[in-house]
Amino acid sequence: MLALRTSRLNRGLLLAVALGFLALFLVAPLAAVFAEALAKGLGAYAAALVEPDALAAIRLTLLVAAISVPLNVAFGLAASWAIAKFEFPGKSALITLIDLPFSVSPVVSGLIYVLLFGAQGWFGPWLTAHDVEIVFAVPGIVLATIFITFPFVARELIPLMVEQARDDEEAALSLGATGWQTFRRVTLPNIRWGLLYGVLLCNARAMGEFGAVSVVSGHIRGKTNTMPLHVEILYNEYNFVAAFAVASLLALLALVTLTLKSLLEWRYGVHGKAGS
Amino acid sequence: MAVRRPWKGRIVSIKLTTISKRFGGFAALRDIDLRAHTGEFLALLGPSGSGKTTLLRIIAGLEFPDRGSVHFNGEDITQLNVAERRIGFVFQHYALFKHMTVAENVGFGLSVRPRRERPPRRAIRERAQELLDLVQLGDLGGRLPAQLSGGQRQRVALARALAVDPRLLLLDEPFGALDAKVRKELRHWLRSFHDRVGLTSIFVTHDQEEALEVADRVVVMRDGAIEQIGTPTEIYDHAVNAFVFDFVGEANRVPVVAADGHAIFRGRVLDIAAEALRGSAELCFRPHDARLGAAGDAGIPATVTTVRPREGRLRIEAEIGGLPDPLAVDVPRGAIPGPGQAITIVPTRFRLFPTSSAAEQAA
Repeated sequence: MLALRTSRLNRGLLLAVALGFLALFLVAPLAAVFAEALAKGLGAYAAALVEPDALAAIRLTLLVAAISVPLNVAFGLAASWAIAKFEFPGKSALITLIDLPFSVSPVVSGLIYVLLFGAQGWFGPWLTAHDVEIVFAVPGIVLATIFITFPFVARELIPLMVEQARDDEEAALSLGATGWQTFRRVTLPNIRWGLLYGVLLCNARAMGEFGAVSVVSGHIRGKTNTMPLHVEILYNEYNFVAAFAVASLLALLALVTLTLKSLLEWRYGVHGKAGS
Repeated sequence: MAVRRPWKGRIVSIKLTTISKRFGGFAALRDIDLRAHTGEFLALLGPSGSGKTTLLRIIAGLEFPDRGSVHFNGEDITQLNVAERRIGFVFQHYALFKHMTVAENVGFGLSVRPRRERPPRRAIRERAQELLDLVQLGDLGGRLPAQLSGGQRQRVALARALAVDPRLLLLDEPFGALDAKVRKELRHWLRSFHDRVGLTSIFVTHDQEEALEVADRVVVMRDGAIEQIGTPTEIYDHAVNAFVFDFVGEANRVPVVAADGHAIFRGRVLDIAAEALRGSAELCFRPHDARLGAAGDAGIPATVTTVRPREGRLRIEAEIGGLPDPLAVDVPRGAIPGPGQAITIVPTRFRLFPTSSAAEQAA
């Protein structure tokens, strides 16, 4: 009896702690973002979003994501395919390297590119001589974002592809399919949910990355500012409504990502069970 | 049902010459020579690790030998890959494409042909339906593989392999993932199916009953080498060594000494001629090839441990001091000794093999 009562008590307590924590650290800030953004009414909110510098930041963010996500999908597919289907020397080193961006501070990731391509960096003189701008320009932001986000797709696909035996692919080949046909019609459908999931996470990070991008961007308004950087600048200028308005877009992105992610997990789970 | 024979004239004979294959330090196959005649149904039988699946995959072109050659109809196809060999391969776990319907699975091989050779969609659909009818799954074309039973999936895999008009059918443990009852049904079905379509076929199994029941000839393998090739009867009744004898059926194995033309068990001269042998040997006989002797008969003395009914007869298990496994004898129902009683076992049909090595005895 006593045991039962304590366990019920424990459960209530745990639930209260979890929910309280959630409210304090997730829901409250999220609400604060929207409350601040709308503090001076919808007009001010909309004005902050259509202002040229804000639009430039949104455009740049979309551009960076549009470049880095497809590249990382290609890389992730190639890497997970190689790791799952072939034995080669240096395989475990490759797996470790893929995780590197997760274990390195984003600021360091950004600094690497300054070190390589900055005016004082290794390739700096050569780049200056050939009039190529990387650091404090869009290419630098894209490079840093690719580096930061490259584990997402690969990490999602590797376990999935390892788990799937080679039988399906061998069956397709034995039926006369070419390598490309096998990939497109057999392999890809088998991994599509995992791939989508990875793309989603990769995209969210590509749009939201602050640290690495901040180091290489140079914060030139209307030119090299992404949305997270734009939020920071506005905030530092005490332009809270505008800062939170742009921030609310990022928050919306996060909410959409979360919703899609749950939907995918649900589909994915059902799919996983139906398979094999 | 009328069966189309698109394979006519293309059915191949196979010749393998000195096939060897290593995986790292492990010799999977050693100097395999093998022939399959046109239209023949061949079984590769052996314990796991004997190399039978590797051999099948080499014939398919899914694996390539380190040494040796593969000929189809006298043509050297060693260097051709799986797609170029035009074979049908049925995988142990079916390897059906989960996201495609049954009909799409069956039509896959036709739908991936180069545009010039690809039949129109309708023709592919009709061909898939025809093949599904052939494997008696005509109504299930719209289902997903997950909605089928194991036996049905197996037949879909077979239909899919046949859709590309293969020259040869290869099956890897075709009944391995099925339960006992379905296995038996599908076994008979596959045999009669083979007789109808007449395609040269090779299947891999570790189940001797399956091999003996389905195949025209059985290839018994061990440790990457062929121990014996023969018809089921030859293999069962005329095994070339104790391993084959033991592997293809129930076997009693008793160590004896051959001397003066007779087999001697612990000082008792048995009524078993051993002209060709000398020294330590192994006496092998099946449970149904022995009787209980009367007192004074020349036989193997043993003590009954259990008596159980078995398919119309009684199975007596009896132990001999010093032997690890009890001997089994099947006798007619009737007055029989009970547990604990001493009996004399007299083999009526038997094989005597020289003891080759310690490893052989352990196996």
